[in-house]
Amino acid sequence: MSGGRLLLPLGLVAAMASASWSWSQLERARSAAPSASQVLYLPSGKYLKVTAMGHPEVMADLIYIWSIQYYSNYEAVDRFKYLDHIYSQVISELDPHYIDPYLIGAMIMSIESGDHEMALKLLDKGIGANPDEWILAFDAGFLCYDKLRDYPRAAGYFEKALRSTDAPNVIRRLHAEMYNKMGDKRTSLEYWTQVYDEAETDYVRDVAWRHVHDLRIEVDLESLRQAIGAYTRARGTPPLNLEALVKAGLVSKVPLDPEGSPYAYDRRTGEVRSQSRFKLRRKASA
Amino acid sequence: MKTLAMAANTFREAIRDRILYLLLAFAILMIGSSRLLSLLTVGAEEKIVKDIGLASISLFGVATAIFVGVGLVFKEIEKRTVYTLVSKPIGRSQFILGKYLGLVMVLAVNVAVMTFFFFALLLAKGWMDAGLTSAVVLIFVELLLVTAIAILFSSFSTPILSSLFTVTFYIIGHLSWGLLLLAEKVEGEAARFVCKLLYQLLPNLEALNVKGLVVHGRDVPLDQVLFASLYGVSYTVIVLVVSVIIFRRRDFL
Repeated sequence: MSGGRLLLPLGLVAAMASASWSWSQLERARSAAPSASQVLYLPSGKYLKVTAMGHPEVMADLIYIWSIQYYSNYEAVDRFKYLDHIYSQVISELDPHYIDPYLIGAMIMSIESGDHEMALKLLDKGIGANPDEWILAFDAGFLCYDKLRDYPRAAGYFEKALRSTDAPNVIRRLHAEMYNKMGDKRTSLEYWTQVYDEAETDYVRDVAWRHVHDLRIEVDLESLRQAIGAYTRARGTPPLNLEALVKAGLVSKVPLDPEGSPYAYDRRTGEVRSQSRFKLRRKASA
Repeated sequence: MKTLAMAANTFREAIRDRILYLLLAFAILMIGSSRLLSLLTVGAEEKIVKDIGLASISLFGVATAIFVGVGLVFKEIEKRTVYTLVSKPIGRSQFILGKYLGLVMVLAVNVAVMTFFFFALLLAKGWMDAGLTSAVVLIFVELLLVTAIAILFSSFSTPILSSLFTVTFYIIGHLSWGLLLLAEKVEGEAARFVCKLLYQLLPNLEALNVKGLVVHGRDVPLDQVLFASLYGVSYTVIVLVVSVIIFRRRDFL
């Protein structure tokens, strides 16, 4: 083989070796650099939309897929620094009707980054752009309930979710329970009764019945205790029996508990209690 | 009849140029992307496959319209076969229309086959939604317009310049809404008037874009599809008429 003919394969091998070496050096240099630099220059979705040439939804897909890979790497420096930018400013601007990035973005913000308010801001944006998508309001409501223990706010979100005709029944139950959690037993009883009346399965009917049962007792006991207190304050002594409250015009009638048993009354102490047991775990004072 | 003969010949020529290999690329892209995405994404697989499918039909179609369209007339002139044609009893308008219709036939086959692959994949996955059809229809209308523009430039310019002009036209067509934003920002009535006039004159390809809506399962009213199609076809006719006028004025002798 002449020298000239050898030159070509040798050149090829040398070029391949050079490319391989330079690539490994480049990889090393890139891994040493802060990974957040990947997103440092990602412009807002408003501007990216201009460059999408009629395909902003595909651009949103690509950035969403990239974000999944990026946030799957737990070693990234400044992992959460650009979280709001990527999901709130880029993907949701490129495709405001893209539901998954709102849910996944909020999940990363809340569970991983611990910034619940940022997650709610993203979900609020999604709800604004997609009022018919119950899942966004449900997600926000569940976050308020589970992480923030902010029951009034959670009830508000569940109410928004229920405006969608596709909203699953479980949201009605959560909505009703939020009022119980915030101490508004009467409203909770009202909503739980609706769930019970309109239940389509035995399971839901049974769950709703337990809540209605216990809430009914709690509401009745609260009414009776208030009436006994008012009676005692006015007459200086507790009533002889519960019927005395009706005669005094403090209650319209003496209620029976949901199982049809009368409430037990101790005239010496003025204490009233239910003879039926609670179906669910309740505070001993109730 | 002569126009149809020209169209059939243009169609055969494009097929001989192995343009239908694009379809194979499309099928591989579709099947490959749906497999790959299930590994890379969390949820949204259906939405991403639909986005990629529609974008591919649109982009492969635009690429075909531009790169085949810009050479159609120029090639005849460069190879001097146009001399033979214009010396025969064929009107120059028939020549232009024949070339145009031939390419439209190629695009129709392309779009039909790509849509078939796309819908077959969606059916297999259980993601089929009839609303996607309106997006495909409007993509085809957009291709009609882009092809006409490619033919227009091809009638008086070189293929390189024609493709540059047509791509520019495509970009402007998707960004013309920016002129309205500009009209709000610029000072002076005259400048605002120019912006609004350009907005009216330049093609609005975004009017033919409902891809973002249909992938989310949102309804696109039928009248919107019809009016958008009418707009696209009317604009196409205008561009073809201008092409014929320019081509008639050309002197080949």
